[in-house]
Amino acid sequence: MSRKPVFYALFAFLVIASLVLSGCGGGKANVATLIFTQEFDNLAPLYSSMWFVWTTWQMFDHWAWEFNQNNEPFPRLVTEIPSVENGGVSEDGRVITMHLRDDIKWSDNVPMTAEDFIFTWEMAVSPQNTVATTYPYDMIETVEAPDPQTVVVTFTDPFAPWLANLWHGILPAHILRPIYDAEGTIDNADWLKNPSVGCGPYNFVEWESGSFARFVRNTNYWGTPAKIDEIFIRFVPDDASQVAALKAGDADMGTFISYSDVPALQDAGLNIVIEPSGYDEFMFFMVNEEKGHPALLDVRVRRAIAFAIDRDGINRDLHFGLTKTPASFWDALPYYNDPALQPYPYDPQEANRLLDEAGWIDSNGNGIRDKDGIELEISHATTIREDRQDVQAVIKQDLEEVGIKLDVNPVDDTLFFASYADNGPAARGEYDIQEWSDGPLFPDPDIYYWLCDQIPTDENPTGENWFYICDEELDRLIKLQSTQVDPAERRDTISQINQLFYDKVYIIGMWQDPDVYAVGSRLQNVKFSGVTMFYNIAEWELVK
Amino acid sequence: MTSYIIRRFLQGIPLLLIISIILFALMMSTGDPVATMGGRRVTRASDYERLKRQLGLDKPIYTQYFYWLVGNTWTKVDLDGDGIAETPGTRLGILRGDFGNSLVNRKPVMQVIGERIPNTLILMLSGELIVIIGALVVGVYSALRQYSLLDHAVTTLSFIGYSMPIFFIALLLMFIFAVLFKRWGLPYLPTVGMFDPQVGKSIGQVLYHMVLPVISMSVVSLASYSRYIRSTMLDVLNQDYIRTARSKGLSNRTVIFVHALKNASLPIATIVGLDLPFLLGGAVVTERIFAWPGMGRLFLDHVSRADTPVVMGILMLVAVAVVVFQIITDVIYAWLDPRIRYD
Repeated sequence: MSRKPVFYALFAFLVIASLVLSGCGGGKANVATLIFTQEFDNLAPLYSSMWFVWTTWQMFDHWAWEFNQNNEPFPRLVTEIPSVENGGVSEDGRVITMHLRDDIKWSDNVPMTAEDFIFTWEMAVSPQNTVATTYPYDMIETVEAPDPQTVVVTFTDPFAPWLANLWHGILPAHILRPIYDAEGTIDNADWLKNPSVGCGPYNFVEWESGSFARFVRNTNYWGTPAKIDEIFIRFVPDDASQVAALKAGDADMGTFISYSDVPALQDAGLNIVIEPSGYDEFMFFMVNEEKGHPALLDVRVRRAIAFAIDRDGINRDLHFGLTKTPASFWDALPYYNDPALQPYPYDPQEANRLLDEAGWIDSNGNGIRDKDGIELEISHATTIREDRQDVQAVIKQDLEEVGIKLDVNPVDDTLFFASYADNGPAARGEYDIQEWSDGPLFPDPDIYYWLCDQIPTDENPTGENWFYICDEELDRLIKLQSTQVDPAERRDTISQINQLFYDKVYIIGMWQDPDVYAVGSRLQNVKFSGVTMFYNIAEWELVK
Repeated sequence: MTSYIIRRFLQGIPLLLIISIILFALMMSTGDPVATMGGRRVTRASDYERLKRQLGLDKPIYTQYFYWLVGNTWTKVDLDGDGIAETPGTRLGILRGDFGNSLVNRKPVMQVIGERIPNTLILMLSGELIVIIGALVVGVYSALRQYSLLDHAVTTLSFIGYSMPIFFIALLLMFIFAVLFKRWGLPYLPTVGMFDPQVGKSIGQVLYHMVLPVISMSVVSLASYSRYIRSTMLDVLNQDYIRTARSKGLSNRTVIFVHALKNASLPIATIVGLDLPFLLGGAVVTERIFAWPGMGRLFLDHVSRADTPVVMGILMLVAVAVVVFQIITDVIYAWLDPRIRYD
């Protein structure tokens, strides 16, 4: 104790504590521990848009149909997926008829019927309920039940994207309707905070704020019973802590793994699964005469920018080659990306040629191209997420090499995505290029918010076309695809839209934004869908 | 003394009111809670407008503050967006004990905070106890043996501890005592959480999981407190009354612990008094890294979602605690130093 007593004392204390307290360990087995990097905001169906929540619903409250590892739908609560061929979808695309299985029941043994579906729709559109989103239920005219096992959904207008968006979690009418009838809202219902009655392979048991949520096998499950006794979800917000917990064996699965952590986790023996999520990171050009830099009205300038940025290099160097450059909105939906487009390659010479051809040259020798007295200085904004700021720096450097000055603006996401009414910069179209992760309504290819009438104005402040692009051909095609119930016809329309985006360079795909999971060796038979991660959780197994 | 305490409490009321106005105004400018409610996608515009209306966020800031303070039961609100206020307000306001509901999880704020306070106090009080006891032992020992080898060693370690950021200490300890110890086949400490789900929640498990977070958060404070105690003890030990006490033939133990340490504790009481209310605020970094469900993480999670009701609840709780602990500190002053009189 003569030289460094405090250090030795600390070290000894930790060792002794390890020895003594590790003896507290016991032996309850067959509990799979998963790490979520974000805590649920709310577990009740309809009341959250958080990805972590609606993927968890599948554990205790099935969707009507779910999506497998190929992102293909399969029936869960229904006997078959409605289609035109089986009479489940009307010729005009307005009426969807669903036949429910006759053996489905809630975990309290009450049969699940069409009444539960009607009630779910009613609650979604009730103005007294503060649900997270009313989409797509507010496009429904009626939901009717000719018999307890049949649900007939009638949309106001033909609505092609119904398959990807309807019936994500069902509300138990026998529990919640009396509350709604008494209080006029289900906002304060205990079931919303404690959804202990469900229809999935697991029952919700407990959610300790900031710490964990527990789900145990539903012994009254109508399907094949789950193989693992208990799913324990631990909320760990720090990436480095998640990695340490996975390496130490304190968790069987990690979510939203950073690209930079993948090699270390692989070295530690974890299986890394990279699943395309439907989302890609895009740069959106402001192609509008009243907003945005005038140079961006010229497709040659937009194409030059696509040629000037080394996007493959970004994916290789900043994302360790784990992502790739997307060419279109539909990269994760190959059916709708056929023929598959190829991204514009990195070609600074071609970029320079196009800019010269467009008349943007450096006439005053300041290193920045100009035309008619206007400098080619472009503003770029995205959120403050770390990897986005790294990418901003690379883009800035690449564009400077072809004579374009980029003014980079990282903005906090709650401010960046504020509404038009609240002067949100993205909604107001304040920047020449805006960047975030986006995609179609995956696994549906719809992209309704590019319509001309979605451009926000003082008279239409809720418009969602924050790109301020009004292209009549694009408008026509988007409206057409949203009404097409024939998959082949819709695919042709989407392909035309895809080609239009590509030719007119309204967007530049930066990287595919996949979901990255780390799965420990104990956990077997795990399959992920790009839509959710729990579609086959009843089949997951734990091995010693 | 009693009238002094009552006077201080009364003075605290307008102070807290002013603090609440400033904090509310600051919270309103930190972001938009509805902007990120769309999950991975930007919140759909029609949902955005509806949620703003239903949650009362479409009102001017002074109206929102007024409702937060005194409630809105005396008025009606427009939930369906038809321009007609038809639904009676249900909020009571904090003056009637209602801090509102979280915008993130819709739970009552006091329930949200109440779930976290015990976890934070377990962690923070353990850490504070270790810091005070450890700093007293190290500080007094260093002062009594100034410039000894041990004093130099403690000084060096204190500066190292003080200059290391907590996140670095936390991750380093986690890596050594959890990851590497396990790899080496040694008994190891857990990385995150309050208990092992394979075992279940028990006192032993919570203690086991507390070891690394408590050590991590104690290192920096232990280093600074021990330096402070050493310094004040050195000042006191050179005072005339200590020489007088020694010349009276009092034992060394009595001189140090009764005469010197009691007087040296006066400025330390100030620091501890200032620290205690902030224990309620939790340890943001430590709780985040060790996934400890305390107030620090609650604050961070909800301030990033611009959840005004929860953040205001936490901040007002801390503000009240600061006022109360300041009064308690003043009372302790009088006990430690008989020269101080408040009447």
